[in-house]
Amino acid sequence: MTGPWWPRCCSVRALRKTYRLGRVDVPVLHGVDLDVARGEWIAILGASGSGKSTMLHLIGGLDRPDKPRNGNPRAEIEFQGRNTVQFRAAELDRYRSTQVGFVFQFYHLLPELSVTENVLLGAMIRLGRLGYLRQRAPLRRRAREILDAFGLGDRLRHRPSQLSGGERQRVAIARALINDPAMLLADEPTGNLDRKTGGRILDVLAKVRSDGGQTMLMVTHDPEIAARADRIVHLIDGRIAEGPGDPA
Amino acid sequence: MYHALLTRRYLTSKVMPLLASLAVVLCTAMVLITWSVMGGFLRMLTQSGRSLIGDVRIAWPNVGFAHYDDLITRLQSDPEIEAATPIIETFGMLTLLENRTDGVLIRGVDGPSFARVTNYAETLWWHPLEKPLSKDQEGLDVRLDTHNRDLLAEIYQDGLRLKETDPATGGLESSMVLGIEVGGWNVRTDWGGYYPRVQGIASAAGAIQNRNLFMPRSGALPLLVVPLDSKGRPMEPVTRTFPIANEFESGLYDIDKQTVLVDLPALQRMLHMNAAKRLADPGAQEPTAGFFEDEAAPAPVVEDPARVTAVLVRQKNPNGDPDRFREHCRGIYAEFAGAHPDVPSAISIQIETWEDANRMMIEAVKKETGLVLVIFTFISFTAVFLVFAIFWAMISEKTRDIGVLRALGASRAGVAWVWLRYGLAIGVVGSILGGLLAWGIVTNINEIHEGIHQSGQWLGDSLVGARLSSWFGWRRPWNWYIWDPKVYVFKEIPHRIEPWKAAFVLAGGLISCLVGALWPATRAARMHPVKALRFE
Ligand SMILES: Nc1ncnc2c1ncn2[C@@H]1O[C@H](COP(=O)(O)OP(=O)(O)OP(=O)(O)O)[C@@H](O)[C@H]1O
Ligand SMILES: [Mg+2]
Repeated sequence: MTGPWWPRCCSVRALRKTYRLGRVDVPVLHGVDLDVARGEWIAILGASGSGKSTMLHLIGGLDRPDKPRNGNPRAEIEFQGRNTVQFRAAELDRYRSTQVGFVFQFYHLLPELSVTENVLLGAMIRLGRLGYLRQRAPLRRRAREILDAFGLGDRLRHRPSQLSGGERQRVAIARALINDPAMLLADEPTGNLDRKTGGRILDVLAKVRSDGGQTMLMVTHDPEIAARADRIVHLIDGRIAEGPGDPA
Repeated sequence: MYHALLTRRYLTSKVMPLLASLAVVLCTAMVLITWSVMGGFLRMLTQSGRSLIGDVRIAWPNVGFAHYDDLITRLQSDPEIEAATPIIETFGMLTLLENRTDGVLIRGVDGPSFARVTNYAETLWWHPLEKPLSKDQEGLDVRLDTHNRDLLAEIYQDGLRLKETDPATGGLESSMVLGIEVGGWNVRTDWGGYYPRVQGIASAAGAIQNRNLFMPRSGALPLLVVPLDSKGRPMEPVTRTFPIANEFESGLYDIDKQTVLVDLPALQRMLHMNAAKRLADPGAQEPTAGFFEDEAAPAPVVEDPARVTAVLVRQKNPNGDPDRFREHCRGIYAEFAGAHPDVPSAISIQIETWEDANRMMIEAVKKETGLVLVIFTFISFTAVFLVFAIFWAMISEKTRDIGVLRALGASRAGVAWVWLRYGLAIGVVGSILGGLLAWGIVTNINEIHEGIHQSGQWLGDSLVGARLSSWFGWRRPWNWYIWDPKVYVFKEIPHRIEPWKAAFVLAGGLISCLVGALWPATRAARMHPVKALRFE
């Protein structure tokens, strides 16, 4: 399905990540290469501990790959023609804020904030105080629209603790979307939900993608869920293996 | 924007940091109250000098010095000097009612000029009053009574000149003005005023006769002094009964309790310090050469000028440096001493400001204030540690949220600012409430003090209190006067907060919170976002 004629969203080259546990090096990613087309929905399958989350964090600019060592090639995450690996801290913050939307398995909503405030948090961070105040009304309207579309229009003032798991995850997706990012990075978005609720979350994600054209990288354990994506990749032994089925 | 939102939400949803805020409230209030009261005490102490002795006292105690009129003329012709007044300071015995005697400090003063150098006129207690004192809400002050207006006006005038009209002769008679606490004839009220006691006296026949102890009305008391000759040797004691013209309240307990003012010429006569012709002391004469003359020559009569023990001086500029002014006065005295060979030299004469005279006490209070402030500021560091500990715990609790903020694009500085701002908010809330608490306590400190005293009395009088006292053998456990005027000179606790002190202490409270939050905030900023997100 991918090819050079498709516009590229990002391409990952020679991505390596090694954790240090005391004196022991624990290599997790051994040189991941992946091309992601714009608007593509990729499911990433892999065993537990294979480094799926690690990969997502690297692509999302939350962490940095290994420095080139022992003749390894320099890692590269090319996003819209720029290599995010070379970004300075402020550029990386900006990148996360404007281009990336994270969705986590355990929702990670801020318990003190209402649903609307959780959704608007990303916009507050992106715009700063004055910018946010200037655009508050349209942003509030947009947050409302998204939440309405997700069936949460009557829960705007509720706290996360008053919501079910599925509702919380929908709020989290709305939060990831408020800045209109190019890329959604979802780490097991249905991992904490029953099959039916998870299915509804996937419906939401599918609709988001078809409406907004977001590129989506979704980590999952479940081949059935992965099947809804455009493309399935496997993370095996720290490398990407393409293919729809179980490679084992 | 998210900083403000989070700060607001954390402030209203978390209890622990409010405890930190409470600690800040208590610490700022404690430091501010101490500083205000002790500092106020110090200020009252230094300022009261001006109202009691003016700016500078030129003194030659006991024997006194002559030609003071010339000194005063010289002083008053100086452009820096507002006024000067002669005064005699000595000790004596006052015979109170029922022949009780009390040692007193006697000041012989010339009323009108004394009032120009000191605030004597304002200290005279008995005068007609138009408006009640601020705390006298029910208007109980007897001086408000319109029936007494003429009498009080007359008493006030008598007090000012220290003279009374003798009802028998119609002439003016030298009189005395007592400190209001002398003799204990006036009852101090809780609104800060006095009323004269009424005493029931049992007569021999068994009847009780009520006697109104309003001294300026009819009181006259014998005053005993011991004069010294010009060499300082004591002579026969002299007693004279003075009518009481008025009573004064300086606000300094010791002074109001022990001082009596007497008309200067009368005291001079009693002490033989008035101008008089006297036989010269033969020992003071040069032995004459002749042999016959020695027996034949009559003892010469000399004109002994009047003397006083001190001259009080007030400078024109109320804020002038007292030490510089003292040296200025010394210069004038030196000129005066040059013109009169029989007065003490400019080197040996005592020229002091109030602060010089009370240096020991003022320095002690200064040191004590400093010490207590240092101790309390140290205690206040507990607030810093409390904020630190609470923030540290909160940041551990909120680790995942910090990861989320970073994932949403917040910078390290942004995350740090969330916590600093939160610390700042706690500091602002804490120190403003602390400031208000201190203000409330300090402005009402005399009432609170009185309340504590009264509840102590009440407890002591109650059955439980009496039992406790007898069980534990306490003698006076219920006398809860923390500010005993006998110890602290002033009858009132200072009750003013100076704005700059308040600003200083509030800023201190705020900075403490910031300091306490600084390290936790740095920790939050340094957290690795992925580790924060993975935090369980
Ligand atoms: N901070 C760390 N220090 C050391 N090892 C780490 C650290 N973080 C992750 N690892 C290791 O890296 C490996 C990959 O972790 P990662 O969370 O990316 O796996 P995953 O594929 O997302 O697993 P799961 O499906 O269970 O979520 C794991 O073996 C983990 O133990
Ligand atoms: Mg994972």
